[in-house]
Amino acid sequence: MQPLKIGIGGVRGLVGQTFTPELAAGFAQAFATYLDGGRVLVCRDTRPSGPMVTAAVTAGLLAAGCEVVDLGIVPTPTLQLAVPWLDARGGVAVTAGHNPAGWNALKFVRADGLYLNHVQAEELLDVYHQGEFIKATWDRIARAVARRDDVVAHHLEALARAVDVEAVRARRLRVAVDCTNGACAALVPRWLTALGCDVVAINDDLAAPFPHDPEPRPDTMPQAAAVVRASGADIGFVHDADGERLGLVDETGRALSEELTLALAAAIRLERRAGPVVTNVSTTGAIEAIAARHGAPVVRTPVGQAYISEAILEHGAVIGGEGNGGVAVPEVQATHDSAAAIGLLLEHLATSGRPLSALVAELPALVMTKTHVAVAPDVIYSTLGEFRRAVEDERGVEVDTTDGVKIVWPDGWVHVRASNTESMIRIIAEAGSRARAAALADWARDRLRR
Amino acid sequence: MRAIPTLKIGISGVRGVVGDSLTPVLLARFAQAFGTYVGGGRVVIGRDPRTSGEMVWQAVVAGLLSTGCRIVDLGVCPTPTVQLLVRRLEAHGGIAVTASHNPPEWNALKFVGADGLFLSAERGRELLDIYHQGDYVKAEGARMRPVEARPDAVDVHVGAILEALGPLPAARRPLRVVLDACNGAGSTAGPRLLEALGAETIAINATPDGSFPRPAEPAPENLAALCEAVRAHGADAGFAQDMDADRLAVVAETGEPVGEEYTLVLAASHVLATTPGTVVTNLATTHALDAVAARAGCRVVRSKVGEAHVAGAMLRERAVIGGEGNGGVIYPRVNFARDSLVGMALVLHLVAAARRPVSGIVAALPPVHLVKRQVPCPSDRIGAVLARLRREHAGDRVDASDGVKVWTGDGWFLVRPSNTEPIVRLVAEAGSDEAAERLAASVAGRIAGWLDASPAR
Repeated sequence: MQPLKIGIGGVRGLVGQTFTPELAAGFAQAFATYLDGGRVLVCRDTRPSGPMVTAAVTAGLLAAGCEVVDLGIVPTPTLQLAVPWLDARGGVAVTAGHNPAGWNALKFVRADGLYLNHVQAEELLDVYHQGEFIKATWDRIARAVARRDDVVAHHLEALARAVDVEAVRARRLRVAVDCTNGACAALVPRWLTALGCDVVAINDDLAAPFPHDPEPRPDTMPQAAAVVRASGADIGFVHDADGERLGLVDETGRALSEELTLALAAAIRLERRAGPVVTNVSTTGAIEAIAARHGAPVVRTPVGQAYISEAILEHGAVIGGEGNGGVAVPEVQATHDSAAAIGLLLEHLATSGRPLSALVAELPALVMTKTHVAVAPDVIYSTLGEFRRAVEDERGVEVDTTDGVKIVWPDGWVHVRASNTESMIRIIAEAGSRARAAALADWARDRLRR
Repeated sequence: MRAIPTLKIGISGVRGVVGDSLTPVLLARFAQAFGTYVGGGRVVIGRDPRTSGEMVWQAVVAGLLSTGCRIVDLGVCPTPTVQLLVRRLEAHGGIAVTASHNPPEWNALKFVGADGLFLSAERGRELLDIYHQGDYVKAEGARMRPVEARPDAVDVHVGAILEALGPLPAARRPLRVVLDACNGAGSTAGPRLLEALGAETIAINATPDGSFPRPAEPAPENLAALCEAVRAHGADAGFAQDMDADRLAVVAETGEPVGEEYTLVLAASHVLATTPGTVVTNLATTHALDAVAARAGCRVVRSKVGEAHVAGAMLRERAVIGGEGNGGVIYPRVNFARDSLVGMALVLHLVAAARRPVSGIVAALPPVHLVKRQVPCPSDRIGAVLARLRREHAGDRVDASDGVKVWTGDGWFLVRPSNTEPIVRLVAEAGSDEAAERLAASVAGRIAGWLDASPAR
């Protein structure tokens, strides 16, 4: 079977195989029908299939009577902020986020700027499958697509309101940034300049291909790490293709695990103001340890940004995010926004006067391993079901089925779940040592293969 | 009579009603079929300004890009501009998004081959097979290319016409022209060409916003505003385009429409006077053209009806001028396409050289007495009607290459099936308007009689 994922994260597939113009146009018609027409914003990241997919989406939205506003290449969080600002009824981000260049996806945003939640995503899917879409007649169809080039400025204003800009400017931090030639190149260098930073930008060309997988992980960050060392930067940032995930390099040039982005953001945030922290079941247990220092509760959700966003609003959280490098700063918006995370981190560096490595050293010493098992799409859920039955009788463990199956021992945990975006089962394990984490992952892998 | 269909998929492209059958998925699939047909090469696209144009354009872009095509986008422009640029840019094909003279709820894709001609019947059939097979080329996402915009396409087109014909000769007083662009694709290109030629230009209905200020067909009954403007401005001529600026009708300085049938006759008389050669037109076009050609010692070759047939025959015959009686002028030194811009340039050069008003030039031409009728005829009876005409006229001169054309005493008539409606189209020409009317009425009466005598099962 070929890769195509239709679910809560939107519609995602490999262009040239499963992700066709008909699919994109059909989903756009379904989304427009679901919204009952109205103004819809569209943006894309820089991957080469973006113009094709955007055209298909625009055709579908127009055919269903929407007023389409094209934002061009901007980060997804920029679109999300612009949806309520421009009184739009929804938005479509054409981006496969952290996936390689051959992929693309549609992410559906509702009127408040957040992603459709899982109930809404299912309703949208029902409309798509039913195939009965609104059809605008010639006298109702929009005869042109509107364009807006002021949404990045609007995003910058919102970012600046959440940060002590003068304090950061006063320090004139040197900052290295790798935009991965993605949509962040349209936002982040401007943001860093507004913060008075001495900016060393690489891969900031919107027309160039991704220099590496657009997924911030230590193995995609050696270039940024080298730039930090060579330039003597205070910090380095590495982006995905659409501005949700953020990877960090400390001032020594060490690329940090993407799990630490949220942990560091939470530590900084709770120092200022204690309050609930929202993250998913798969994210590092360091979050609990950090929250405990401040007496703050941690809310764990299923994996997926829509769950994080809803829980942030429900619990009045002060910070939220996921272990993939996604951080939501509620003062900016209740959704992952790497530029908002940058503001938080730089404000801390500027006001504390301490290097990033010092903050990292204070985090609990935990080791996480992330592996996966490729599984055909037709047997992913039966494989997971068998796994759950196999581990339910295990003694001395706690089994959490919020999302997939998480097995918790006193000294570590392993989380086994279907990927939202690819045809695989992910195995995430965490413990106090690499050996113990690897042992937990192996334990799960053995039981998956039975 | 059955309901009029809202979708027509055939060898000449796909045409349908927006908000009904012409959906983005259907359009994207057709574009994918065309992208597959041209092997993912370079494709030139342009559109007319009807309200659904943006939606259709977006669907076409998505379909073409998904097959790996490199798109050159001309934006809103005349259909002949697309055809010209296909050849100029050595593209592998083109798509014009236009339903030409059809009402505003319609839109369509017209497919252009690498030679700048609309796809022939055979190639149209190949494209249709690919569409129906549904096995389209799928380019890798990481290798797709962005759309290249060519906002200068209209200038290229105007430049090509100026290069071929030159500006109008210097005169004491420049020719004054009123243009009615029907708020169509010629709204920008038309005035630009007229000014480049050196004519004083007054444009009406020249806001390309997809509104239809009049029915798009430049037939005399739709040109009241233009005729009035010609009189009011004391203009030397009036020109009317259709929505995609391929067809042209002329209004004389008196404010009288001269009739679409004359457009090609006027253009041909100018071309033959300066560069004698073969003329190509379709079977349904006025024989006044033969008289004009005969005066210049030139011959007329007749093809089946349709731009692709005429242009194809022009290529084979190395014709110097050609076109169709609906106002479509094809001038190969510029373009193998029906082109209202070329038509305007030729007519104005004729007027400038003749030093006579349009009405005087028309009066000196062989007269056109031609009528067009539609006769209801169920589609399953059309074959029998045509066969009976051939049988009853076995002793007359008959051309059965496209319907049945019969030469009678001082005239001729042609009966052709419609490919969109349960009717036959009847054209008759004779020595006077009355005689042409009588001929048409007699043929229509005979057909109706045959249908009544053996009603449909």
